[in-house]
Amino acid sequence: MSTEDVTTGNGTPGENGAEPLSANGSHSPQQTPEVADADAAIGGLDALDAPDTRPTRSVPARILSSVGPPVLALVLLIGVWQAIWASAVLEEQQLPSPLTVAKVTWDLIQTGQVWEFLWTSIHRAVIGFFIALAAATPLGLALARVKVVRTGLGPLVSGLQNLPSVAWVPAAVIWFGLTDTSIYFVVLLGAVPSIANGLVAGIDQIPPILPRVGKVMGAGTWASARHILLPAALPGYLAGMKQGWAFSWRSLMAAELIASSPELGNGLGQYLHNGMSLFDMPMVITGILLILLVGIGIELLVFAPLERITLSARGLRKS
Amino acid sequence: MAVALQDPVDTDVAVRLTGLHKVFGQGRRAVTALDGIDLSVGPGEFVCLVGASGCGKTTLLNLIAGLETPSSGRIELTTSRPAVMFQEHALMPWLTVNRNIELPLRLAGVGRAERQARVAELLRLVKLEGTGGKRPHELSGGMRQRVSLARSLASAVHGAADGKQALLLMDEPFSALDAITRDLLQSELLRVWRATGTAVVFVTHDVREAVRLGQRVVLLSSRPGRVVDQWDVEGLGGADELTAVDTISAKLREVISSHAAA
Repeated sequence: MSTEDVTTGNGTPGENGAEPLSANGSHSPQQTPEVADADAAIGGLDALDAPDTRPTRSVPARILSSVGPPVLALVLLIGVWQAIWASAVLEEQQLPSPLTVAKVTWDLIQTGQVWEFLWTSIHRAVIGFFIALAAATPLGLALARVKVVRTGLGPLVSGLQNLPSVAWVPAAVIWFGLTDTSIYFVVLLGAVPSIANGLVAGIDQIPPILPRVGKVMGAGTWASARHILLPAALPGYLAGMKQGWAFSWRSLMAAELIASSPELGNGLGQYLHNGMSLFDMPMVITGILLILLVGIGIELLVFAPLERITLSARGLRKS
Repeated sequence: MAVALQDPVDTDVAVRLTGLHKVFGQGRRAVTALDGIDLSVGPGEFVCLVGASGCGKTTLLNLIAGLETPSSGRIELTTSRPAVMFQEHALMPWLTVNRNIELPLRLAGVGRAERQARVAELLRLVKLEGTGGKRPHELSGGMRQRVSLARSLASAVHGAADGKQALLLMDEPFSALDAITRDLLQSELLRVWRATGTAVVFVTHDVREAVRLGQRVVLLSSRPGRVVDQWDVEGLGGADELTAVDTISAKLREVISSHAAA
């Protein structure tokens, strides 16, 4: 398309362009002041037009406004719980007081058992999540960019997202027995569809102009994926990961609860199961609270900061 | 020097389009977007393409940019890879201004130190010193378009480093801006064009803008797109400029009315 360049003796194009205009008698005297005016005006316009992105409130005020309401809600919740317990409409075995549950939890912490439960469950969930991430990323890329894969597997992957992964526990137990493999299998089937679908949604929402810009800059398939597609899809990908984590945590708890056996070690699910077997309500509530706590903790410590950085860098959320 | 000179005519042409046709679709539903366009743009020349909707202005630009392939005809470029500036700023929202401007240089494998020097130079050129660390959402519409201009220039001028002419294709870059900003950016563009000496093909539907900016205005007809007429509008001022705008607008209206009759 382009012919070989032989323009060595050609004059500088800038002068070519500018010369006739400045040579024009009627026009040139106005040229310089007009340009100077424009320069000053551009600066003024920038100052007027640029959106104000400074935080509107001080740091303590922001912390108070983000921590205050959830703490208040928690206090209210415990108050209601205490009131119901005090009214004695339910028997003590059915609803222990908040203080009893706190005592059971404190014992767990003091004996150090809680760390065993937490470690067993969290490390399984994390390993399961990363395996799911490694499997779901290429799957998501293929679903998003290869049409045959999308029409063929797309409905199946979306469908799997609607299937509670607990449904796989009986099959997993028959195939793999009461082993860690069974548990990872269930976790994977819970998390992979979410992460893959998140990545697909992220790629689908990329404005078509961005890959075009990459193309006119001469980016090949690989460079375009690295510099444009993946960073542009990051918000959706991250949302998928967050959901994927929630699904793998849920699936893990279900698997531990159903496929409970001494060979599998003591996770939170097993603790909950034991509570049920012993008909021990304080234990059951403690188990539920610990599962909830891990869910909220990972969300606040890992995903919330990641999401905040990603979204505020793109101006999708006020930092 | 034993360099064999090729077709000597090529030396004073940056872009030459010969009998360019572009048909979209096939069979009875085929739409002819461009029907035999012959046009050449000189090195460093500023050409404005004007026409109503459906005249294939954008298609023509996409063909020169290599985003689409012509159905028939030839496109000859003696320039480096053309840089394109779109109506939307099309900046990467996750990159800072600096990183956005240097993106074409990164893709071309330019080293870090050279990239930084070039970005600083370009930021000065578009009068955005000190905003290099900001992200697109922290800028006004006019500032974003200037960053976009700087990015296009980075890619145009980089290619020109090995002795080739630079070429900048602009697809209605100011049409989404308010009137005040547009007016200022037009004079900015003229200043930058004089400073860099790139050839510019500027697509617009605004005749006044075309006359103000261009050295030459090319009027395209709609469906199919053909070159109807061209005017030399270089250095016009005052009454001459107004006359030129009136003449071209009248011709444009004439072209559009022919569609109502058909």
